[in-house]
Amino acid sequence: MNKQQGNFFSDTLVMTKRSIVTILRNPLIFIPNLAISMFFLFVYEAGLSGIANLPAFEGANYLAFILPVSIVSAAIGGAGGAGQALVKDLDNGFFSRLLLTPSSRLAIVLGPIIAGMLQLVIQAGLIICVGFFLGLEVAGGALGVVVVLLLTLGWGLAFAGYSVGVALRAKNAQSAQAGTFIFFPLIFLSTTFVPYELIDAAWLKVAASINPVTYLFEAMRTVLIDGFTDTWPIVLGFLVIAGLCAITITFSAVSAKKAVSTD
Amino acid sequence: MNGTIHVENIEKTFKGDVRAVRGVSFDVADGEFFAFLGPNGAGKSTTVQLLTTLLKPTSGKLEVAGYDVNKDPEKVRLSIGVALQETGIDPDLKGRELLEFQARLFGFSKKEAKKRAEELLELVGLTEDADRLSGKYSGGMRRRLDLAMTLVHQPKILFLDEPTTGLDPANRKAIWREIKRLNKEEGTTIFLTTQYLEEADQLADRISIINKGQIVATGTPAELKRTLGLDAIVLQFDEEEEAISAYDAVATDEYQTERVKNDVTILAENGTSILADVIRKLDERNLHPAQLNVKPPSLDDVFIQVTNEQKEGGLNE
Repeated sequence: MNKQQGNFFSDTLVMTKRSIVTILRNPLIFIPNLAISMFFLFVYEAGLSGIANLPAFEGANYLAFILPVSIVSAAIGGAGGAGQALVKDLDNGFFSRLLLTPSSRLAIVLGPIIAGMLQLVIQAGLIICVGFFLGLEVAGGALGVVVVLLLTLGWGLAFAGYSVGVALRAKNAQSAQAGTFIFFPLIFLSTTFVPYELIDAAWLKVAASINPVTYLFEAMRTVLIDGFTDTWPIVLGFLVIAGLCAITITFSAVSAKKAVSTD
Repeated sequence: MNGTIHVENIEKTFKGDVRAVRGVSFDVADGEFFAFLGPNGAGKSTTVQLLTTLLKPTSGKLEVAGYDVNKDPEKVRLSIGVALQETGIDPDLKGRELLEFQARLFGFSKKEAKKRAEELLELVGLTEDADRLSGKYSGGMRRRLDLAMTLVHQPKILFLDEPTTGLDPANRKAIWREIKRLNKEEGTTIFLTTQYLEEADQLADRISIINKGQIVATGTPAELKRTLGLDAIVLQFDEEEEAISAYDAVATDEYQTERVKNDVTILAENGTSILADVIRKLDERNLHPAQLNVKPPSLDDVFIQVTNEQKEGGLNE
């Protein structure tokens, strides 16, 4: 008899491939996401670039400052789509079929999570290209771009993990969508538009300092604006994102075990 | 690993104190065709989910293929094929892709997966539609593809949860033929749930009737008919009001009476002897059935009888 337990890596690969095929066959879902994140980059740059003349910016290029916001906010469409894909699987019964295979529950959730992450990394690549077109200069050079993409990769895994976990708990599109609202405090209770020193409200300073996204912004901005002269914010950024990934992916794998049972 | 199922006193209580399964016990032998027969909400699907690792029981013991379902869910998953009530198909993938995908997850190499997919497409008659998106398939085709997916790893035990619900007669017969073949020729143990008595009667070696989370009768189709079977007098009326009045007129403690829309069914040990009594009662109220039949016991009547007894507190509650 031909049956045996597949191994974790090949299962994850097969699951990821299937999630990618599913995304590619629904271009009307991912193309608008691409357009929106580029739209934000244009709008922020056009409307806010004047504030880069403030002394606290120390002459930094506002485009380099705002680019991470555009990348991080692209996650709501790209990586967040992983949750929507999962709701679809739950709705059409395919998810139960996956749970009935001998694959590990982690491999089952990693498929859509990795596919969502890849979608975000591609979006980020395009955003950076558009940035160059608008006159972006990266202090960290080519390596700097790679580091930004690696940070994006981590953020993509973390956010997709969260959205898959929420989808598995919520089990319907509306609640899963509602779960992604956490995104707004994450993005905006941070050093989104101005550096930490320029934030006026004390509460926002506190919020920004406990918000993991702040460390992601700082890491990306350090690479883009200052290069590799001070590596600590970069290392800290990676550490925070790695911790976040561990939490959200564990959350989604544990949720997978409980997805079908209604108790 | 073997093809047996052993269930001992399982209970499943959901949130809100919904007791879906209340102390069910049964055994299925290697190679047996066993059917769980019951109305909607009887606990059939919950039992299937408990047996197939998708749900954890509140209490009780479950062994499938010789493995404890709680302790060795992975081993159980390797030994069983499961077609749930709702087909498990990703509409964005093609039939062939789904089968290859499934085979890969059961440890087949790429090459083996291709070959197995081809065999199964042939088996369920989907070769011509293999490269179309499954989302564009008809209901019958989806069912056949779903069955093919459950067979990928040649499971020793097959769980089929209402596999023919919503199918037209031609597709229903096709599914019957295939599961019969798997049972007879390949010796696959089959656990089937159904609301259709005809289906259980035609296919199963042994049937348990389940209602409100409890098994109320078990036996071969013939045994059930013999021990529980009563003659049925079936009165059909043109109007539902007439049927309601007729039900009021004939219902007594001496025999069971059931009304479904325009039909009134009376179950009694000796149907012909009470027939005169029934007709007299109808005459008194000036009720004239459009049709009147006296039938020897069918499994249908057994079913009505058993689930009715339970409703009236005859067996439980």
